Amino acid sequence: MSARATPHATLRWVRADLRARPGQAVLTVGVVAGVVVALILAAMLLEGTANPWQGLFARTRGADVIIRFAHGTDLAKLAALPGVTAVGAPSVVVPATLEQGVAESPVELRAMLPAEPALSAPLVTAGSWLRAGDRTPTAVVEASFAAAAHLRVGEKIAVAGVDGNTATMTVAGLAYTTDQGFYPQATPGLIWVLPATLRQVEEVPSETEEVVGLRLGDPSANGIGQVVQEVYNAYHTTTERSPVEQVTTWQQVETSMASNDRLLGLLLALFGLIALIAALYAIANVTAARVLVQRRDIAMLGALGFTPGQVVWALLAEQTALGAAATAVGLAGAWAATRSAAFIGPPDGIPVALTPLPAAWMALAAAGTISTVAVATVVPAWRAGRVSLAAAVAASPPRGRLSRLARIGLLVRLPAPLVLGARDSFTRRLPAALTIVGVAIPMAMITIALTCWTTLDGFSGDPGRVDLAAALTVYPGSESIQAEQAQLARDPQIAADYPGAEFDTLLPGATATFTARAMGTSSRPYPFDVVQGAMFTSYNEAIAGQGLLDLLHYNVGDWVEVTVDGVPMIFHIVGRTLDPDNNGDVLDFGLDALALNAAAAEPQFYSLVLKPGVNPAAARRQLLRDSRDRLQVQQAANPADDLGVLRVAIVISVAVLAIIGLANLLTATAVGVGDHLHEADVLAAIGLTPRQVMATLVVNTTILTAVGAAVGTAAGLAVAPLLVNARGQASGLGWGIAAAPSAGLIAAMLAITLTIATAAALLVARRSARALDPLVPLRPPLTAPRPAP
Amino acid sequence: MTGAAPVPVMLRTRKLVKEYRAGGLCVEALRGVDIELAFGEFVAVMGPSGSGKSTLLHVLGGLVQATSGEIWLRGQRVDGLSKRDWAIQRRRHIGYVFQSANLLSTMTVADNVELPAILSGVSARQARQRREELLDDLGLTDKARVAPARLSGGEQQRVALARALAHHPSLLLADEPTGNLDSANTRDVLRLLRRTHAEGQAILLVTHDARVASNADRVINLYDGMVADDWSFG
Repeated sequence: MSARATPHATLRWVRADLRARPGQAVLTVGVVAGVVVALILAAMLLEGTANPWQGLFARTRGADVIIRFAHGTDLAKLAALPGVTAVGAPSVVVPATLEQGVAESPVELRAMLPAEPALSAPLVTAGSWLRAGDRTPTAVVEASFAAAAHLRVGEKIAVAGVDGNTATMTVAGLAYTTDQGFYPQATPGLIWVLPATLRQVEEVPSETEEVVGLRLGDPSANGIGQVVQEVYNAYHTTTERSPVEQVTTWQQVETSMASNDRLLGLLLALFGLIALIAALYAIANVTAARVLVQRRDIAMLGALGFTPGQVVWALLAEQTALGAAATAVGLAGAWAATRSAAFIGPPDGIPVALTPLPAAWMALAAAGTISTVAVATVVPAWRAGRVSLAAAVAASPPRGRLSRLARIGLLVRLPAPLVLGARDSFTRRLPAALTIVGVAIPMAMITIALTCWTTLDGFSGDPGRVDLAAALTVYPGSESIQAEQAQLARDPQIAADYPGAEFDTLLPGATATFTARAMGTSSRPYPFDVVQGAMFTSYNEAIAGQGLLDLLHYNVGDWVEVTVDGVPMIFHIVGRTLDPDNNGDVLDFGLDALALNAAAAEPQFYSLVLKPGVNPAAARRQLLRDSRDRLQVQQAANPADDLGVLRVAIVISVAVLAIIGLANLLTATAVGVGDHLHEADVLAAIGLTPRQVMATLVVNTTILTAVGAAVGTAAGLAVAPLLVNARGQASGLGWGIAAAPSAGLIAAMLAITLTIATAAALLVARRSARALDPLVPLRPPLTAPRPAP
Repeated sequence: MTGAAPVPVMLRTRKLVKEYRAGGLCVEALRGVDIELAFGEFVAVMGPSGSGKSTLLHVLGGLVQATSGEIWLRGQRVDGLSKRDWAIQRRRHIGYVFQSANLLSTMTVADNVELPAILSGVSARQARQRREELLDDLGLTDKARVAPARLSGGEQQRVALARALAHHPSLLLADEPTGNLDSANTRDVLRLLRRTHAEGQAILLVTHDARVASNADRVINLYDGMVADDWSFG
């Protein structure tokens, strides 16, 4: 009989409890939902970074197979082939050349209509799609090619056909597609134009080809193989060559798009994992605090006939229900976030396509989160089951006494709330320790996140730190090297120019290659940021990147024998630089080191260091204009741009960690108030004003927060450089990239934390102080349920 | 073990001892208490502060474990029961009233009273009926949806009594239920106790107040943890 009754009684208590503390319930749901959103977004970013194809394919309604046919092929047959479920609109393509001054890049023009096709619709990430009726023809450039060729929306470009017909067009937009991989893994660069524009460049229809995308019933490699065979059979002719020119499968495109930066993913995963642990801790903390504050109630449940097991189950059921609700909110939030934004990323970085996660993953995340919440509740719930029933009858006042320090404090007339509040903070060591750790963990994580941010800022703001002091590199065009240098020397935007030459070099006794680079001369070397050892100052000295040192198992101070451009040379490695190029597989020395080889000693390029405040992109355009497009100027890619997605991750994690920290703070305040309630009544009875009682409670929380924040920040500052440098080391950049956040930033972070803590404590304490009644020192607990509707 | 089980009475203790240890100090709160309570009997336990009255009640309700000795409840030996089995005994047979009301702070008055009834296995409808009956008896019908913190001390104690009676326990353990009450509230509580007794419930009531004790059939005096005397009202 009582077994059937148990769930009813438990439910009744859980319902009443949730109604009595809606704030705490909302906070728990908020913390967990925040972590769920952060984890799912991190997983999507991870997936989107590592495998951008997936998200793009879904959003562009990509084709499973892309087939290129000779001009004039009858494509109507395709739809009838077995295994083909849909045929995209065929588009005419022609090879062409993009002309940018002296630089020429092979491109492919693809004719498309202004209307969005049902299959293979390019995803526009900047500007707009093709428009009909403009005076200058419009073009949409494939985004990865646009980035490599420095093309922007609104720019005018000239495209020449094979026969030399040139058309000028305006870049209307940038877009991604899964019809081919990213440039330069997939070439040539892709430009979409209207059919009329295409005819301007290539008048002869027979010179064109047609590209058509197919959707298949079975898109596996096997299924594709069968369909491709059907296609070949359908267009088989005995007399002439097959009209099927080329077949590209989605698998090929996916592989060519795959990124190998697993480290970024690992970093994101690390953040997600630590946020999860911090959330676990926060939930355990909240539940433990509840058990502490509700000891009397829990003991009373036992006195009424709840078995210890029922008490444990009641708490578990309540928290798990909250966890489930939070997971639902989190999943909905993540879903909404991915619906509203196809791409995520800062304006200055490379955007990442958000990949919708498979349902199985979502289910796994949901199950994982709910069980995490349950696990976090187990220990405090078990403790609740062991609460002594005598607690129901004997309200034990908090232990502790006035320490000598507190007595001295009162004697020297320090304000009573300060002394009593400070004493309260440490009267009960365990809750104090729990609160301190609860604040310290998120603070440490936020400090680490800020260090990552500052390091990225360092890359962007001071590119010299990663050997990118030279924002531009100029390659000789039609002018002679001497004329070129004369022009550079006259340019008012340029602070310095350094001649350079670069050679792919075989490692001594190995199969891998590295880059041997002459940068400046040994008397006037390029301004490398040497993080270890010294700069080369003689023709037989060189500095190396971490990647090369790792490859060779060498250290700074060793001698290395290499063959540069066919000439054997011996260098003394005198220093190490941070170098993002080729994973740091770089050896740098002066151009004079190549003096023995007259051909190699000619500068191949000039590295330009711009004057402070000069915009590299603007300077590049200016140089091109001044040289009337005779120079070829490249803008250096900053590794911080690739890590732009990391900034998004940092913002998300800081937000989640802040919520977790806040949850811990509110818990601490609630415990403080609950714990010292009786004492507060007594304090009021012996003559402390309500304001003073309130101040006592606030001081209590603020002190614990201050200690936790200080400990956490110190730990974060100690660990962050190690983590960031380890990532730098692993990616070949080398040790020493970490930049600590400024003292001002740290001070601001601590000030914000303390302000929030004080405000939260004030809020809770005000409610309690108002309820104080000096006439009834022993009154029932303050938390009251809301009357049922 | 002392041979065959004694004749079934509501409650019987034999050589009941409870020692508290704190900081190397051993305090004997109960030093061999033998008492007996018949079905439907109303017994008051009196004695000075520190004589072990409250401890006796806590041990008999299973809130605190006895150090040694026997407790028989309705013919069943219960002193060795686990916490879980004690909880089941309480939800079936025992009602508890404390000196301070100890209402569940997160529940309304109605929920507080209905909870033990639901726990004992009756339907939600029956629990509601029983709650309405009890609150009506105690003049608290209009406070059913109120939070305990909004009640006066006397009202809280009356709700606590209603809660202790909600599941029709055959034994009511009451620890100074009128200790904090004024005379009017004391009168109300005693009236309900008398009526409960008349319905056949056994009551063990700890009190300081001779006037309260005079409502009982029998008075047991405890002194230094032992039964000093045990006498019935003629």
